[in-house]
Amino acid sequence: MIEVDHLTKRYGAFTAVSDVSFSAGEGEILGFLGPNGAGKTTTMRILTGYMPPTEGTAKVAGFDVFTDSLEVRRHVGYLPETVPLYPDMTVRGYVRYIADLRGVSHAADRVTDVLKIVGMYDRRESLVRSISKGMRQRTGLAQALVHDPPVLILDEPTIGLDPHQTLEVRDLVRDLGKSRTVMFSTHILPEAEQVCDRVIIIDKGQIVAVDTPRRLRDRLQQGGRLFVRINADAPANTVIKTLSKLAAVATVEPYQDGYTITTNAGADVRARVAAAAIGAGWELIELRPLAMSLEDIFLELTTHTPEMGHLAGSERVR
Amino acid sequence: MTNNQTNAAALPVPAIEGTRFSAKFLIVFRRELAGYFTSPIAYLVAFAVLLLNGLVFNGDLGARNGVTQTDGTVVLRWLAELTIFFAPLMTMRLLAEENREGTIELLMTLPVNDTDIVIGKFLGAWAYYSVILVLTFVYQGILIWLAPPDIGATISAYIGLWLFGGAALAVGLLFSAITENQIVAGFLSVAILMVLWLADQSGSLVANRNVAQLIRTFSFQSHFVYSFAVGVVRLDDMVFFVGVIAVMLFVTTRLIESRRWR
Repeated sequence: MIEVDHLTKRYGAFTAVSDVSFSAGEGEILGFLGPNGAGKTTTMRILTGYMPPTEGTAKVAGFDVFTDSLEVRRHVGYLPETVPLYPDMTVRGYVRYIADLRGVSHAADRVTDVLKIVGMYDRRESLVRSISKGMRQRTGLAQALVHDPPVLILDEPTIGLDPHQTLEVRDLVRDLGKSRTVMFSTHILPEAEQVCDRVIIIDKGQIVAVDTPRRLRDRLQQGGRLFVRINADAPANTVIKTLSKLAAVATVEPYQDGYTITTNAGADVRARVAAAAIGAGWELIELRPLAMSLEDIFLELTTHTPEMGHLAGSERVR
Repeated sequence: MTNNQTNAAALPVPAIEGTRFSAKFLIVFRRELAGYFTSPIAYLVAFAVLLLNGLVFNGDLGARNGVTQTDGTVVLRWLAELTIFFAPLMTMRLLAEENREGTIELLMTLPVNDTDIVIGKFLGAWAYYSVILVLTFVYQGILIWLAPPDIGATISAYIGLWLFGGAALAVGLLFSAITENQIVAGFLSVAILMVLWLADQSGSLVANRNVAQLIRTFSFQSHFVYSFAVGVVRLDDMVFFVGVIAVMLFVTTRLIESRRWR
């Protein structure tokens, strides 16, 4: 449904998106992850026909965004980052206006339907200026859904919402993704992890990773990490030295009130660590594997460390 | 937001196929016109126009008081000058607000041509201006009741004022497109309309007669005060105002389009 091929967008000398390629199939929820200014919004704006690419092509629902812009716009529902609302219209009036501009048939019924889907039906006669941030977001979503588009592009749909509203929007997106292609950007990582089938991580205009959230985690976690807390009479240096000597241990570094141990790929060193600690006469208080969240992956990929997967001494252990 | 699934399943068949040749500008037009009637600024403009016109009308009537014949165009000539200030008040919001609220991004990703948006907005403003013109019929009614003036000149002045108003609104719309600040849009339009209105006096500023004449050709005043307002309906004056409207709307469309290339 979405095919992006070597897409580049330059603003003067500044390259916002550089040689980006990816695709999304039917019924797929694609997460678009990246820090601010990474090129997420620019990519989405190109996909929705708002601006043309400098180089490369993009197809949405089989239509080229540049040569067939109007057709693309017919097949896409778009919620920009700043929810585009008219403060002096009612919720229903606003959605109806967009439905009419889109030429939706049976507009009145359709507007009622989408307002029920996003849970704004009870507030349909409220002025847009008077509704809460979460409701504004949902009204924006109603607008994007009103023509029942096969492709839905949502730019940070959960930004600025309270946790309860975030959950609601997340559920809604997951639901919508069952019957259509959804591409949504976020910088809230657990969200991408929970909602998306696939995640694209973009930084400085370039794609740094594309995979399922699970496989991304696996890929970067070849060398496992352990957190160990030891009550020892010996100084920290001795402990580090002792643990470092164990087979398959890559690095040992102090962290908070314990140590983090990075192991070589595929090795389980827990038994050896425990044995070594007890053998030395120390008290082993805690020993647990550190799961790497998408957040760590994200930071790892976007902070440009020379070696990927080398995560020892991370400040981000939770 | 419960029962999302059941609701989603109950959706009617995709309604994407739009009416391709329907006049989308009418939908924009309807919203803009309705917008005037829900915004305080429109009522303030109407109120101010009626108040200021009423003062002029009253003064003029008192001065004539049986001495000279009544003149229905006095109020309209005064209204033309007021239009320089009031037209920008009516148009400054039109596109500047879309720029500021980010709704322009939505409009530009809908299957709607930019031309439809610009024409719809312009017609909305022009329709509201027409409503204000209709309000001034009350003065004409009073004149006809008291002592009928030259009706021909009055009708001619109305035609001229209506066209001039359209041109002024089109200028205002253009400046509304270039900024997201309504105040800036308003001030720029007033300034430009002022210059265009007063271009008539270029003779006293520019020594070269031909240049002065050329500048004068673009004066709004010379195409209204000395023709329509004295009962002369000339084709070239009409073409002038219609031309200004067309050029302004064209440039505005291009300005909106240029966002895609920035």
